[in-house]
Amino acid sequence: MTTGRKTVQELTIEPGTGKALELRRGQVLRIEQTSGRQCADFNCFNLHDYKEFFHTGRTRHLHGLHPTKGDFLWSAPPRERPMMAIIEDTVGTNDVLYPRCSAFLFEHHYGLAVHTNCHDIQAEAQREFGLTPDDVHDSFNFFMHTGVDAAGRPFIAKNTAKRGDYVELLALMDVLAIPNVCGADVMMTSDFELKPLKLTVFEGVDRDWSRISEPPRLKNQRSPSEFKVKNIKADRELYRDSSYRPEFTNVPLQISELEVNLTDDEIAWIQQLKSTGKYGESDAEVLRYVFFTWWIGKFMHGPKHAAST
Amino acid sequence: MTETTVRLRLNQQQLELIDNSIKAGESGSREELIRRALREFAAAHLVATGKTS
Repeated sequence: MTTGRKTVQELTIEPGTGKALELRRGQVLRIEQTSGRQCADFNCFNLHDYKEFFHTGRTRHLHGLHPTKGDFLWSAPPRERPMMAIIEDTVGTNDVLYPRCSAFLFEHHYGLAVHTNCHDIQAEAQREFGLTPDDVHDSFNFFMHTGVDAAGRPFIAKNTAKRGDYVELLALMDVLAIPNVCGADVMMTSDFELKPLKLTVFEGVDRDWSRISEPPRLKNQRSPSEFKVKNIKADRELYRDSSYRPEFTNVPLQISELEVNLTDDEIAWIQQLKSTGKYGESDAEVLRYVFFTWWIGKFMHGPKHAAST
Repeated sequence: MTETTVRLRLNQQQLELIDNSIKAGESGSREELIRRALREFAAAHLVATGKTS
């Protein structure tokens, strides 16, 4: 669907390759299947400060293992800003659980010492902008169909993307976006065949912005101007700063006792909860567990991440 | 009716969260807020005994 959008760039990336694309805030990147069943790995950097980059962990925390339309691609702490928004996803099988495949993986698992792999493909594409193999980060895996079994083990399922399926990402800041054709041809990831992917960059329109929710803007989305060390370390050796004095937040943490007077009925509830063995060993531990669990359920913003009790 | 005192071990950050809830009008005191949590948690998680309200 391109109604009202101007096409800025259109290209196809072949198996074994990727491409670093400069996107300005408001532009849209579409990653499209040319024949189907192809995973696209993806890295993303702030175009003006490469130390801000996409973070699978925070994205997973906020949107779960399979982010899709309406979700954001977040940058790593302490920046923690939405870098891009998924505004369209015609398949809905994306993954932020698995790390990128690497040369090590194919050598270790398959005995293949020289093999296409997402880490090296990303590194080669990022080299166009002066980045090194150490700058490649864990990928957002578009069209990668995954799950977790009852024993907690992740698995890769058959790729269900069809020809013409696509995802669209709206840039919320100027970014370097790097999609690549996943290099894993001996895994289930892309149904044992590597296929080209079509990339299109559009100028976004008002309708694209209307498809995202307002992300939070908080004082703890920090920038380098707030860092105690503002410059990027430019040498490889680690050595101690003799002037260093620790300044940890809210330390020392001071414990105090809060007295709570409970009626017989209330004590009976605590005994009943304690007898389940799920909430704590002492009355105070049970009451503290109860309080914070209650507070999280009632007042906390965002996903609760609480086990059923 | 007798009363039993339970002493919760909390750090200053946890107390800050409690005090913020009080400032937001959720309760009149720290103790009252904790007891409200217990009451509502018990109502939701314990088999009804007719004594959770």
